[in-house]
Amino acid sequence: MYRKKTAQIFLIAFLTASAIIFYQWPGSAHNNEEPVSKDMPDRLITMAAEYPGVIIPPEEDLSMEIVFHNRGKSHENIEVWLVQKPENWKARIKTYRFGVTGIHVPSGEDKTVTLEAEPDKTVTPGKYEFRIEAKTPDDYFKMVQDISVTVKEKEEGEKESKGVKLTTSYPVLRGASDGEFEFSVEVESKLDKDAVFDLFAQGPEGWDINLKPAYESKYISSLRIKSNQSSTVAVQVKPAAGAKEGEYPVNVRVNSGDAKGEASLTVILTGTYGLETGTATGLLSLDAKQGKPANVSIYVKNTGSATNNAIKFMSFKPENWKVEFKPEKIESLAAGELKQVEVIITPYEEALVGDYSINLRIEGEKADKTVEFRVTVKASATWAWIGILIIVAVIGGLTALFHKLGRR
Amino acid sequence: MHGIITIFGKELSDHFSSYRFLILFALIAMVSLITVYMAGMTITKELEGVAKPKFVFLMLFTLSGAGFSLVQFVAFFGPVIGLILGFDTINREKNEGTLSKLLSQPIYRDAVINGKFLAGFALIAVMMISIVLVVSGMGLIVMGVIPGSEECWRLFIYLIISIVYISFWLGAAILFSILFRSVATSALAALAMWVFFSFFVSLGANAVANALTPDAGASDPDAMMQRVRIGKAISLASPMELYTDSTATIIDPMRRTTRSLVQIGMMERLSMERFSGPLSLWQSILVVLPYIISLVAITAVCFAVSYTVFLRQEIRSL
Repeated sequence: MYRKKTAQIFLIAFLTASAIIFYQWPGSAHNNEEPVSKDMPDRLITMAAEYPGVIIPPEEDLSMEIVFHNRGKSHENIEVWLVQKPENWKARIKTYRFGVTGIHVPSGEDKTVTLEAEPDKTVTPGKYEFRIEAKTPDDYFKMVQDISVTVKEKEEGEKESKGVKLTTSYPVLRGASDGEFEFSVEVESKLDKDAVFDLFAQGPEGWDINLKPAYESKYISSLRIKSNQSSTVAVQVKPAAGAKEGEYPVNVRVNSGDAKGEASLTVILTGTYGLETGTATGLLSLDAKQGKPANVSIYVKNTGSATNNAIKFMSFKPENWKVEFKPEKIESLAAGELKQVEVIITPYEEALVGDYSINLRIEGEKADKTVEFRVTVKASATWAWIGILIIVAVIGGLTALFHKLGRR
Repeated sequence: MHGIITIFGKELSDHFSSYRFLILFALIAMVSLITVYMAGMTITKELEGVAKPKFVFLMLFTLSGAGFSLVQFVAFFGPVIGLILGFDTINREKNEGTLSKLLSQPIYRDAVINGKFLAGFALIAVMMISIVLVVSGMGLIVMGVIPGSEECWRLFIYLIISIVYISFWLGAAILFSILFRSVATSALAALAMWVFFSFFVSLGANAVANALTPDAGASDPDAMMQRVRIGKAISLASPMELYTDSTATIIDPMRRTTRSLVQIGMMERLSMERFSGPLSLWQSILVVLPYIISLVAITAVCFAVSYTVFLRQEIRSL
């Protein structure tokens, strides 16, 4: 009793002294210290999760603070561990640097640790439960905290390919049917490790589609990309011979395990323009006499896949020569069609004997063709006949002379 | 016919045994051989390490090794052969009084002139053929190039034209020997004719052409062409011009015309250069056929005139 009294006296004296001291203490410290001084239990520890229920987008990491409150008078050591975690999740409790299994919470203070959880790629949308337990070493306090994590569905707009992404700046290319098209596709890996990706390209039948690394001339069918990096692949497309005008889709797919990516490219063919010309026999030479017209018939063929309109003819010839075309113009020539044109070449009257080059140019809307003829100007044989006549006349004259005057 | 052959044989043996022929032949053979040797050396040197162009062999005749080529030499001095062989054919017989004796034999008068002309003709042919053969043989040795068949044909035609050409001068010389009683006069007349046609016609042609087109020059190509045309037309009166032009085209397959100046447009030149090749033999002949025919014709006419004059002449009185 006495002892109890002395303690009471001591306590009262202490409180009074404290009260006097705190009265003279300025400001806020007063409120802070009050619970300690007031009716604090001997031991009181609580544990709480910052957000016991969260919703996260898929493949996003979870990081949450777990707070420990010590409301008791004594400092406490607490053991903490993760009891339950869903499959395919990686989770641990840590501070800013270490993994944590125990924690010291001084009296009246709060301590936080972090729960980090990382979903696997296979984690599907749904609700996942985590359970953390903590206890003091003497089992005086045992605490349980449940955390529920809801992984929400992928939203409609962001239907992003998983782990790999294909992007191209020019998904539509346009050109002539006999041209070659090259798309540049960027393959972006979002995997956190290096991976080999298989490449596939699919286009219309008969088309030649090749995949190449950018600026290199090798054909590839797979590609190694480091984690979270990207690589550019050139898709070379060669339309089939005789492909008609129109739009053609080309699909490029990339996959590596579960990671898949796809890009659709489009090739627009505009048709080709091509003209061909020559003679039926393939002979590109002809004989001509000075000042006399010489005929040659050439054909004009549309080798393109589009109709060629307004085909004109031109000639590159020596001065004073005449080159005429019949007809002078072809209004329109459908694809694959063949027309015949008569060419009349008249050499200059005083042209020297020998070989000349005459270039005929067939000029269509978007195509042209030049064909070279070798024209051999030959001396007119008229003189040969006149010469023979003269010589016959001279010999005849001589003979007549011999007969008239001879034998004297 | 019998008379002609007798006269022909006699004349031929006379020529072959005469010093005149020997000296002439030696001179011509020497000059030709030297010319061709020089030309051959030049060609060999120039063609060293170069792919053999076509018609190298013909260049032997056209390339001027020592100032003039063989073709030019024959064009200038060939007439002298004809003149020397023929300038005293008839008047020497007359002066020596052998013509009356000859005609008192059973030989017709036309046989005399025919036989004499044919003998000269044969002699010229022998001379030219031997020269061309010797020259070709020498070319084979010096250059080691074998002529192709077309080259042989061209040489053959060249030979015929040359023989006809020299025969023309023989005919002219015979005509003078009939016209002039004195041997010296006929020789001088023949020589004068040669000098006139060889040198003065071309000079005169130029002079006349220049006088007719005073304003021709580089600035007036049309007048220039006119001048060249006039000059050409006048100089064609000379048999030498006919001969030079025709043989040049026959011997050189790259020559397309006998004209010395040709107006060619820019495009025409481009067009021609694209396929610059030699002409075929027949084309070459056709180009110069008028010239060849003219040569044959004037030779025949010249002989016909001598024949007529000789047959109408009074000769027994001498």
